[in-house]
Amino acid sequence: MPTDQPLDICVNTQTPLLLFPQAESPDSVPVRPPDSQLLSQLEEGVDYRFSPGGVTRMVYPLLRRLHRDKLLGEAHWVSLNPYAPREVRLEDLTLHNVALPPERLAAYGNVKETIWGTVHGLRQEDGSGNLFWSDDFSEYAYYNRLTAELIHSLDAKYDFDLFYIHDFQQLAIGEMLGTLKPKLFRWHIPFAASDIPESWRPAMTGYLNRYDTVVVSTDRYLAQLKEFGYTGRAVKLYPYLDETEYSVPPPDEVRATVQRFGVEPEDRVALVVARMDPQKAQDRAVRALARLARRHPSLKLLLVGDGSFSSAKTGLGLSKSARWRDALAGLARQLHVEGRVLFSGHVTQRELDACYERCDFTLLPSVREGFGLVVVESWLHRKPTIVSKYAGVAELVQHRQNGLLVDPENTRALADRMEALLTDPEGLGRKLAERALETMRLCTMEAASRAEALLLEEAVSG
Amino acid sequence: MTFPPLAFWIPYIYFAVILLVTWAVGRLAGVLLGRGIGQSMPQVSAAAGRLGTVVVWLIGGTFAIQELGVSADVLLLVVFILGVAGVVALREPLQNLGARYFSDIYTPFRLGDTVSVAGYSGKVIEINPITTVLLSEKDTLISVPNSLFVREVVTNTSPQAWREVNVPFSIGSSVNLARFESDLRKSLGKLRLRLDPRFPPVLVTRARSAQSTDLTVTVLIRQPEERDAVTAEVSKRVAELVAQSQLSRR
Repeated sequence: MPTDQPLDICVNTQTPLLLFPQAESPDSVPVRPPDSQLLSQLEEGVDYRFSPGGVTRMVYPLLRRLHRDKLLGEAHWVSLNPYAPREVRLEDLTLHNVALPPERLAAYGNVKETIWGTVHGLRQEDGSGNLFWSDDFSEYAYYNRLTAELIHSLDAKYDFDLFYIHDFQQLAIGEMLGTLKPKLFRWHIPFAASDIPESWRPAMTGYLNRYDTVVVSTDRYLAQLKEFGYTGRAVKLYPYLDETEYSVPPPDEVRATVQRFGVEPEDRVALVVARMDPQKAQDRAVRALARLARRHPSLKLLLVGDGSFSSAKTGLGLSKSARWRDALAGLARQLHVEGRVLFSGHVTQRELDACYERCDFTLLPSVREGFGLVVVESWLHRKPTIVSKYAGVAELVQHRQNGLLVDPENTRALADRMEALLTDPEGLGRKLAERALETMRLCTMEAASRAEALLLEEAVSG
Repeated sequence: MTFPPLAFWIPYIYFAVILLVTWAVGRLAGVLLGRGIGQSMPQVSAAAGRLGTVVVWLIGGTFAIQELGVSADVLLLVVFILGVAGVVALREPLQNLGARYFSDIYTPFRLGDTVSVAGYSGKVIEINPITTVLLSEKDTLISVPNSLFVREVVTNTSPQAWREVNVPFSIGSSVNLARFESDLRKSLGKLRLRLDPRFPPVLVTRARSAQSTDLTVTVLIRQPEERDAVTAEVSKRVAELVAQSQLSRR
């Protein structure tokens, strides 16, 4: 990057990098965490754990990479984290945590779920535009303003070069910051103008147009963003993962790990890695499994994943993941495949690697998906994938070349594609996996850090 | 060394007591005036409060000085002459400053709008305390004294300009802005039948100082004939919240 000085940057995401257990006093009153802590004095797994979710999995490695390359000076990361210390210092990064009172948290959660569900095509807004006038939206604005004020105070202290705001939960921050400095916004979820109610358009374009640059994940979203009325600089950047975070555990470890989840040595395994959420459409995979159950008696469906930050008790406390898991278990019973649908819950990175290594192929049956980095993970582990045509990553998949595309609403087609991979693993399966390795390189940290560095530099220098 | 008798100290005690009372009355007047005027014009509530405090201090100070045996007449005369001289000498800039101050309330345009005034037209690109700068179609800058916008007919040709109602106001810097905004949105939500539902209120920070934060809330109305009524109602609601926020700080 041709800038003379390292950039001082403030990143903002809803989901925090670290989750802290909610400490309680003996009389069950939440204990307020200390104001400031050093991460080096805390123990992972005991005092904190890393958040699940694609956004933090992208942002943190990126910041580390930019630091390593001496492109960053001060780096601060503001996020919503009700039970965390106000500030946590890492080696090259300071985390700032925003706390919301429970009553405001619930109302904020309602709004973000409404936006999220609508943009993912899972719910219909009534068209009256009342969302933006609702009392709940006042709490969404409260959270955004609280965050913007914290960022403003940090800016007064550190004089940042730019602000990098992530995702729809923070949409109003650009307007609220009221700064002349560059503001970048990354929209991580799908962007389809047709899914956004007409009555929302003026407010949303108003918020979006307060950002100098908006980044989306695919070419399709880019075209839609411009059509929607965004007039600033629109950029497409594929989401990415840090390949150095992944490893291949030895066979014994793989066997032992998946056995804990119910996978036996003779089983064929179809793997879905996704949080427990209706949008991830694991139910389609269960239905497809039921279609194949008789012809492939050793086939099992392994569902890896737990709730998101929104579902976690240490996050927003919305309980949708537990409800969805119960629904999936009920569906499996109803279709008589209950012993063949396995739930792993939350897994560590090492366990995730073991699941990928053990599976025969992976599925991404989501009815909407901003991108779908799990497909890239699957490619990294040289596993063939079946990808929903509604996922952003489908833009990179050429049917029968580097993956299999499917309409997740069509469970017969999904079952057919699973069968194709079960019956021809060495031919079709191997071909897809090998070709996908090339595609995977578009979504690696190596490629993305260069693109992100250029993006930041252009945002600052114009 | 002998300690002076009590009679010696009495004027000084009166002096101190008067200053103390002046301080208390000044604060009270500031709050009451700010709140009273702010009910109808939140934009000037802070200024009205400050003016009230200054007047009370002027009167109280005069009384206090007299207790020390110093004639306040000369002091008042000097202040008066200096004031008149200042007003005469700075008449033009003061007119512009005043017009700038009140343009927030009365002049229906803002940055980015296209306006015409006294034969000059252009896009408003800067509003400073003395002039408003227009960018003409020929790409030239036109600096128009602010006072002209109060004296002359102003035409705002921006599309839908009639819809926009801007209410500028100030809150103390110690007020929790997030809570204020949340309350303001809830309050303005009660007027949504009179407002364009596609455009929720926008609250913009215009300036910050150690003492206060200057903000503008913008809403869009549905019916042109309701502009006056909606402006008054939004102003009233803002003023009420400003007053509440002063009472319950962070």
